Amino acid sequence: MTTASAEPLLSLRNVEVVYDNVSLAVSGVSLDVPEGQLIALLGANGAGKSTTLRSISGLLQAARGKVTRGEIRYAGQLVNTLSPQDRVKLGIVQVLEGRHVFEQLTTNENLEAACPVEMSRAEMRSALDRAYTFFPRLAERRNATSGYLSGGEQQMLAIARALMTRPRMLMLDEPSLGLSPMLTTEIFSIIRRINREEGISVLLVEQNAFAALDLVSHGYLIESGRVVMHDTATAMKNNPDIQEFYLGGHGVNFRDIKHYRRRKRWLT
Amino acid sequence: MFYRLSGVRHFSYTGDRSLYRIPFERNAALALLAAAILAPWIIGELTLTSLVQPWLIWTSAALGLNLVVGWAGQLHLGYAAVMGVGAYAGTHAARSGVPWEIAIVLAGFASMVIGSVFSIAALRVKGLYLALTTLAMQFVIDWSIVHLSVVSGGALASLRAPDMSLLGFEINGTAGLYYVALAWCVLVTIFMMNLRRSALGRALMAVREKDYAAEIIGVRSFVFKLVAFAASSFIAGVSGAVLIATYYHIVTPDQFSTQVSIQVLAMVIVGGLGSIIGTYLGTALILIMPGLVAALFHGATELFDLRIGVETLAHLPNAAYGALIMGCLLWEPLGLGRLYHNMRSYLIAWPFGYLKK
Amino acid sequence: MDWILFLELAANGAVTGLLYAMVAISIVLIFKSSAVPNLAQGALVMVGAYAVLAFSDWLGLPMWLAIPAAMVFMFGLGIGIERHALRRLAGQPIIMILMMTLGLDIFLRGITLAAFGGSARRMDLGISDDPLFVGQILMSRVHLTGAAVALMVFAALVLFFRTRRGIRLRAISNDYVASWSVGIGVEQGVALSWALAAVISTIAGVFWGAVQGVDQSLSLLLLKSLTVAVLGGLDSLPGAIVAGILLGVLESVVSGYLDPLVGGGSRELVVAVTLILTVLIRPHGLFGDRSVERI
Ligand SMILES: Nc1ncnc2c1ncn2[C@@H]1O[C@H](COP(=O)(O)OP(=O)(O)OP(=O)(O)O)[C@@H](O)[C@H]1O
Ligand SMILES: [Mg+2]
Repeated sequence: MTTASAEPLLSLRNVEVVYDNVSLAVSGVSLDVPEGQLIALLGANGAGKSTTLRSISGLLQAARGKVTRGEIRYAGQLVNTLSPQDRVKLGIVQVLEGRHVFEQLTTNENLEAACPVEMSRAEMRSALDRAYTFFPRLAERRNATSGYLSGGEQQMLAIARALMTRPRMLMLDEPSLGLSPMLTTEIFSIIRRINREEGISVLLVEQNAFAALDLVSHGYLIESGRVVMHDTATAMKNNPDIQEFYLGGHGVNFRDIKHYRRRKRWLT
Repeated sequence: MFYRLSGVRHFSYTGDRSLYRIPFERNAALALLAAAILAPWIIGELTLTSLVQPWLIWTSAALGLNLVVGWAGQLHLGYAAVMGVGAYAGTHAARSGVPWEIAIVLAGFASMVIGSVFSIAALRVKGLYLALTTLAMQFVIDWSIVHLSVVSGGALASLRAPDMSLLGFEINGTAGLYYVALAWCVLVTIFMMNLRRSALGRALMAVREKDYAAEIIGVRSFVFKLVAFAASSFIAGVSGAVLIATYYHIVTPDQFSTQVSIQVLAMVIVGGLGSIIGTYLGTALILIMPGLVAALFHGATELFDLRIGVETLAHLPNAAYGALIMGCLLWEPLGLGRLYHNMRSYLIAWPFGYLKK
Repeated sequence: MDWILFLELAANGAVTGLLYAMVAISIVLIFKSSAVPNLAQGALVMVGAYAVLAFSDWLGLPMWLAIPAAMVFMFGLGIGIERHALRRLAGQPIIMILMMTLGLDIFLRGITLAAFGGSARRMDLGISDDPLFVGQILMSRVHLTGAAVALMVFAALVLFFRTRRGIRLRAISNDYVASWSVGIGVEQGVALSWALAAVISTIAGVFWGAVQGVDQSLSLLLLKSLTVAVLGGLDSLPGAIVAGILLGVLESVVSGYLDPLVGGGSRELVVAVTLILTVLIRPHGLFGDRSVERI
């Protein structure tokens, strides 16, 4: 563990999520995001990463899901029952998986839509400028209809739009989805800048575990709705299990699988 | 309790697919049927002709609509027009000397032809757009009936239906007309009950859930939509003709207006999509509600000596009717049939609630 | 061919069409924000007209005060309808939503007639009934004023959609989940669109009331405005204006030549046939988003 402040910005304790009142998607996830840190949440498809993020941002309701157990604390406050809107006001924002931009709006309008209503015109302009300095590509296309932007540009727009809400904690759900390695690197370096320059804490969900672990300080590994591993990024990168199953190591061997299963049981 | 069963257990497929899966329900249905047959001797003539008989006819009509909307999942806002086609076809046929039993069947086929035109729209669009097309078709049919004096019967726009007779017997007493309505209603109900466990019924439900998915597993959604519309239109046509022959005795265009389409749809939805017993309950509720509300307000004005205008009294039942539809949707979107079902599954397991499936 | 007659029919049709468009705009607003096809739109126009009469006849307000007062009332009514009737049906199948708006239509008509009685009333806007000759073409002043107001409403909406609140409303109609994710109040946005629709219905009610009197027949505007909305593309405001003019002209010209042959009443037929053909040939209308067909 690092020597981060005693109370993390966000902490999940034993969170359990059920969809449609029946299907258990996440069972007992606990994780911490210390203020100003970059944290990764890794796991296979269907492990429950997006579900965890939704439980934090409050978007579960939209997917007919519910937090049935556990606590979600943000800045010392219990946020389990707050509406998504109120959580955004507190500074939690989630960038959705798969580029949900407002397709019929222009780039600029996408950003304006995300401005809090109480923001003054001047504040909005400076917020726009700031967003465009992070994403100069978007500035070039500010009056283009966003539905016609390229995939990478749409992903950038989605991140920039989240920044317009003046967050303290940014959650990104697979920002590299469907992007070329070059673009992924570019986006990741922007995420790092956002974290450094703005002091925004980041919780990053990624399939691309190599790239993610290069970026973050700590990582959590989640499987079938449970956290099975939590360590520093370097330690995780060197962990043989992770190398084997998530980073694609050498040939699979049954002794290792057994070893891994045992370990997993012990962790959960 | 009544059901004297703790849960439903079947040990063979035949048992599981039987019409009545619980002996009690079969006995209850038989008892109800016996009561319906004895009704002319049990209840007063006025109740019989002004409540029970229209209830039975509208229930048969609503069951036909439920076939399209509840089973096949196709929105239909022009059902009354299809009924109207049957009513006019049947009346014209009977007036020109065709015996009633044939006239009624002709009415069914006339509606089937027109109703299948509706299904052409259903093959192209669905959901909201289908609802809009059928609504527009209702207007077109209404318009044609009103404006073609050959159909509507000239300047007065009303046609008298000849007296009912079946197989050469004059049917003119209240009881006789009631039995015609009852027979038709029982026939439609038996058809619908068996539909649920037939291949056709299952195919329709597959089309309702996802038509292209049904297509993939080999259900020709095109054919089944057509069949659903045709069958439902046939029921609509016969119901329309029976309505005229045994109840209204005179046919006029406004008997089958858009408002009536909405009313039948309300019966189906308040009763519960795809539920037979629900359709009976929903029809009853929609039919008696306006009278009930009117009586209620009338009583209240007398009792408290309120000064409510005549016009207000006349329109309040309408407002209550609208509120009833809205309330049912908010309170139990699955309809009265669902309430019955919940009660049934509670009582089947009672007193061993934990046995509930 | 009599060109003067044709032009007169077309011009009057276009003007009437703009009045249809005003009602259609309300349908489009609601459909855009929440994908709810509001079949109670005709009743909403009728309630709006009666609300104006209530303020002017019952409370004795002058017209220029009664209309804004009614608009405020209708704003509240729109929000109330959304909150108590439609919001709880979100996510239900379309048939439930359609039935809800049909029930609402019956309820609103019933309650209004219970309050005001069924006999027709006059809506006096102080616009003279004298015919107006534009060149050789005879036109009605009330219709012309109404058409001008319809265009103004449209322009005001276009401007509104450029403001931040308007942009948020467009964002909502674009993507609910994304709107939630950046803290846009989707529910409030949908309620606002109902409120705006109710306010516009009031304006439409005023002019339609002035044209044909205030009674139950105002609710029959539903079929025409629905046809205009579908023809323009259910989610397109400019579409509503263009389609309104188009349908108005079509209806007026066709019925002008057809009525003498069939003995009147062919207007409704033209409208219904237009609706059927639009849905079957081009469900997304002239300007609508193709993807709306999926609903
Ligand atoms: N809206 C929903 N309704 C029902 N079940 C859902 C819903 N969303 C997700 N699930 C289920 O919850 C589990 C976790 O899903 P989740 O989307 O959180 O996975 P994920 O880790 O984000 O996967 P991926 O990497 O593919 O995005 C899965 O089993 C999924 O089927
Ligand atoms: Mg995911």
